[in-house]
Amino acid sequence: MNYTYLFVLVWLAYLICSGVLLFSRGFLLARVSKTETSTCRRLSTSPNDEYLLTPEVVQEIFKDVNASSSSNLCLPQKSKVIMLVIDALKYEFGVFKENTTEPLPYENKLSVLHQLLQQTPEQARLMRFKADPPTTTLQRLKGLTTGSLPTFIDIGSNFASPEINEDNVIDQIVKSELPLVFLGDSTWTDLYPRRFKRAYSYPSFDIFDLDSVDNQIMQHLPKELASTDWQVLIAHFLGVDHCGHKHGPIHEEMARKLSEMNDIISSVVAAMDNETTLLIMGDHGMTASGDHGGDTDDETNALLFAYSKQHKFFTSNDSGSDSELLQQIDLVPTLSAILGVPIPYSNLGLINFNIVPAVAVPHLSKFQTLLLHAWQNAHQIYRYFFNYALENKRTFNVEQMDTLETEFILLTHRVQTIYNEAAFKSFVRDLNINLRDILNVCREIWVKFEPAQMSHGLLFTFLPIFFAFLLINNSNASDYAKIFKPKEVSYTFLMNIAAGVFGYRYYKNFSFKTEEHGVIFFTSLLSTVLLAFYTLRHWNSIANNWANVKRFGHMPTRLLLFATMAVFFSNSFVIQEAKILSYLLVAVILLLVYELLQLSARLDFRNKFKWSQFLRSTALRLILASLLAICCIRFASTLFRCREEQGNCADFASASTPGFSVKRPAMGKTYVLAVVIIVLYTTLTRLYLRSCGNLTGNSPNVLLARYGPTVASICAGGHILLANSAIKNIQRTHIDAMALVIYGLLLLQIVVVSWAPLMTFVLPPRNPNTISVNGRDSIVPEIFRKMKRMYEGDDDAERRYEIPVVYGLATVYSSIIISFGVFLAMLMIVLLEPRASIGLIVCVVVGAIILSVHGILRYRTASSFESCVQPTFSAVVGWFLLAHFCFFATSHQTTLSQIDWRAAFVGRSSALGQSHLISGTLVILNTFCGPIFFYCMYALLSTETFSLFALFPNLIKSSSSTSSNGRSKADAAAAALSDIATDAVGFDMSRGELALYEYEDVFLGAGFKLATQFFMLQGLKIFCAMLACTIHCRHLMVWKIFAPRFIYEALATFVGLPSLIVGYLLLLRINRAVDGLIKRINKDK
Amino acid sequence: MVSRFDQQKTKHQLFHVSLSLATILICMTYMQYRRNWAHLGSFWDSLIVPIVFIGELLKVILARFFGRIEDGVLTVKQRQKKASYFTPRELFGGLTLQFLCTLLYAFICIILGAPVLANYEQTFVLSLLMTLLTVSPTVFLLGGGGALQVCFCEKPDFITKCEDTALHLFKYNALGGILGAWAGSVVAPLDWGRDWQAYPIPNVIGALLGSALGNIYACTHVLYACGRVYMSKKRA
Repeated sequence: MNYTYLFVLVWLAYLICSGVLLFSRGFLLARVSKTETSTCRRLSTSPNDEYLLTPEVVQEIFKDVNASSSSNLCLPQKSKVIMLVIDALKYEFGVFKENTTEPLPYENKLSVLHQLLQQTPEQARLMRFKADPPTTTLQRLKGLTTGSLPTFIDIGSNFASPEINEDNVIDQIVKSELPLVFLGDSTWTDLYPRRFKRAYSYPSFDIFDLDSVDNQIMQHLPKELASTDWQVLIAHFLGVDHCGHKHGPIHEEMARKLSEMNDIISSVVAAMDNETTLLIMGDHGMTASGDHGGDTDDETNALLFAYSKQHKFFTSNDSGSDSELLQQIDLVPTLSAILGVPIPYSNLGLINFNIVPAVAVPHLSKFQTLLLHAWQNAHQIYRYFFNYALENKRTFNVEQMDTLETEFILLTHRVQTIYNEAAFKSFVRDLNINLRDILNVCREIWVKFEPAQMSHGLLFTFLPIFFAFLLINNSNASDYAKIFKPKEVSYTFLMNIAAGVFGYRYYKNFSFKTEEHGVIFFTSLLSTVLLAFYTLRHWNSIANNWANVKRFGHMPTRLLLFATMAVFFSNSFVIQEAKILSYLLVAVILLLVYELLQLSARLDFRNKFKWSQFLRSTALRLILASLLAICCIRFASTLFRCREEQGNCADFASASTPGFSVKRPAMGKTYVLAVVIIVLYTTLTRLYLRSCGNLTGNSPNVLLARYGPTVASICAGGHILLANSAIKNIQRTHIDAMALVIYGLLLLQIVVVSWAPLMTFVLPPRNPNTISVNGRDSIVPEIFRKMKRMYEGDDDAERRYEIPVVYGLATVYSSIIISFGVFLAMLMIVLLEPRASIGLIVCVVVGAIILSVHGILRYRTASSFESCVQPTFSAVVGWFLLAHFCFFATSHQTTLSQIDWRAAFVGRSSALGQSHLISGTLVILNTFCGPIFFYCMYALLSTETFSLFALFPNLIKSSSSTSSNGRSKADAAAAALSDIATDAVGFDMSRGELALYEYEDVFLGAGFKLATQFFMLQGLKIFCAMLACTIHCRHLMVWKIFAPRFIYEALATFVGLPSLIVGYLLLLRINRAVDGLIKRINKDK
Repeated sequence: MVSRFDQQKTKHQLFHVSLSLATILICMTYMQYRRNWAHLGSFWDSLIVPIVFIGELLKVILARFFGRIEDGVLTVKQRQKKASYFTPRELFGGLTLQFLCTLLYAFICIILGAPVLANYEQTFVLSLLMTLLTVSPTVFLLGGGGALQVCFCEKPDFITKCEDTALHLFKYNALGGILGAWAGSVVAPLDWGRDWQAYPIPNVIGALLGSALGNIYACTHVLYACGRVYMSKKRA
């Protein structure tokens, strides 16, 4: 059939998406990671090493501290190190409150820390451990081992942990031949494969599992503590983090997990020897709801506890280091100092001496030791900073660089003259200020923008949209066959591939930085030229059509659209976007109702307004339905998730005001409501399909549609109830089995749709001798009647029965789309939280009402088949708004810490393995369920007019039939009216969607046009998001509000455009099947 | 039909528009005089609703005044309609219709995001104002039944020319008011922290400004049409 349109859609989708991709590459540019590594001259205390620490050596070092031989030193190792990383160990968890009578579940559970602090205050330290955002575990681990600032774009790669190739402390430890042992979260072994002497790593995959990783660690930890062949031991516990995700911090499970941690810490303290430093740390905190990822104080304040059995730590009096707060990047140089290994090349942190055990180094006084450490650190930072600045020119401000450099030169002179402790202290204070300045400079400018990529991205997103608007929006649906000829489209693809290859090969000649940029640039350029060529060639018809468009038509709708797009440009609007969208959506529905009312009032009561007539009219019923839709939208606003900036948001309520938690354990009502609504939804769609006659017969899709939704809704309901029930000993596999059934059903549906999509039943033509009984109740009367007629010998009837009877032909297109939608919705429901699944179904209800209101409106305003199959602009905008409203109605927000990761684990306990691809797909399906669902269903907008007419002819025909018994005059007038309407449309509407097949070319063209209209709307939206990011790229809130909004919108585009293509593909497949069916029937006859 | 400045219709239109603009100007002056925005949301404390009410009433009286000239040429139906204007039935119908409209506007306010269980008074004032700007003038002019017919049916035959002129201008007023009130919400989410961002104030001001804009638009139309005729005549 006509697959040309499909390829044009793919082409347009590619153009828009590649523009967005290019922009995001320029906007969210990552730091250039450097692969150099540090080395050092290792001063040793054992006599048979190369650099033995002797008084002469010390003297030589201090003769010129800046000399190359002494700026690259490593002092001897101070102690062994045990690192206990407790994921999401918030600072507040470790602070002991003396006089609370009723501690919260997370308070006062780590009592061993308190004891140690009380007993040996000089050998224990409790500090705030400040993380840099993004506070996701992978980024934090990178920060904790490389000492560099994480970059924004890394955040998406939480599921795909790549090996770190930057210099880091683990590699340095390995190079210094200190054996490492690791236990716990497998993220470490993904980041650092083959580095550990022994690694007991367990996947961090299942966040519902609070205990198994921790139990495994506990099983191996005593044995490892007893053995002496390691110098560094790292254990990473996940239970607290998983508990936060599952239950939130205020839950008795949290108390249990923290008490467990307490036991582990005390056992480690008991087992460790005197030459070991124990570091207990959290990699990030958590919000009041137990999630993390953002940059609030709750999320960034983790805990660090250091303890040494024998050695005292240096004090802040000795060193001038901050004793309250430790930046997480400072851990790397500090660890290097303790272990005597070189500080990693790209580290930007400072050594914090408060947690370095004060082990005396022979022949060196205390301040000399500290000075050497601090100066090594300073040298390393300067080396990195200036090398980076040299290689990436124009990254940093030149004047700033100059002042920093001058200060450093001054310091290099000053360091020569330090002979006592007082001088050292003042020196180290100034040095620290200077180094922190460097850190801040980096932090500010790190995420730099690439103007070339950004502007190209903007341009190449805009141009295809613009030309598609000119060319496709202003042509008639019947002309597309002339515009896009199969051959030309295939040449277009070939030329694009050629341009891509050219870009890939010669990108350097055009001074593009990456191959990707070159490829996208040349293909987009070529495609734009081609689109412009198409436009010019058909300019005549375009201009003609354009001239016919009313100049200020659709003004309210345009205003609405403008408001939708304007949202991106103000941070306050982005924050309140959910409310704004519902406001606009309600406005669209009111607009539709107003149009309908105006129209039908003119038709229904020509001269006299009468209440009685009004009360019986279709208009009133439609108004009531729209009111229902509006109330649904209003109700959905209770399902919105709030964000931090809105104030009084429970998700982010700071833990200092306790008393409530978001994840209340038993919200029984919500779950039951969700289940009831799901059952209602499937029942109603089933009833609808049955009343259309689409559930008759035994074709595979009919069977699936008859039994599938029931099974799916039972499974979805069961999954919701069991997964959230308070009963503890349900096996995960049993819960997951239900989710798996739903996945399976959707796959089955896809297979069936691609194999035999039709949901019709052809009554087989019978000869008088055989009577086939299919066992379906609804068919038996038919057969009976036929037999009766046969015995009576009614020729007329017999002849009529030669016309084949096909059930469900009037809704042959929409029924399949709807039943596909049911399975899709079920999949999403099982992935969403119960509350959110209510939101999804509410949106589906609103969608159904928009469809029916629009269907009737469309019929009454249409003047030909083409205009009848082409939805009105306000309905298209309404559908578009609904798709995006659904995102918010399903409890999502455009912030990075509120991504619903739990969707990745639905049905994944054993069977589906641990592929990151599947996890990513599931999370995307959860997050963008609105756009995906409604874009897949978009074809209903043009088919539903027809099926409505076939199903409820009197709905459309005005209320004449209801008031017919009253006055014959009115009746006649109304009948004449419907005749006029039928004449106006110019074809027989009563055949329902079969009419679509008869005007196949126009219909497919209209479907294509509708899809491109959605492309344009979505493209315009993402374009506005990109433009807003460009305008606001130095705005205070850019990383907090605009960039996440852009990322969400970009992902919605990447997902939404393919969904539209899937929707169109569905349409094509059905059309082909209908074609086959009609041909078969004709042949049979 | 060419329009000229010295026509009755044009005079009526211009008087009508200037009345509306004067009403809104008085409202603005009053607000300026009070210097406090919070009173806009209260029913008893604010004079906005009475001012608008009087303005609309004056417009209806204006239409009646211009209508008197046509009295001689009325059809039977129009006479009947006119005679029944002050009957209790019509009065009651008109009041009920306005009351229902206020309720409808209040409902729309709530579904568009006004608090459900709070700010009754503010919602009431806003919906009252919207009713006054949209439905009331028509009801005052034609009575309850007449207003319904005008809204839902094709142009009824009992409407005099003068009433038709007024109705045409009421339409601009109403459309401007609705769009203005709707668009007034645009400042609500902004984080400027001004006191006039509180709930009904932007919508009330938006409604007033919107209807002013609608009137200005209508005025420009009239002036433009007249001016063109005038210029062409002068040239001739």
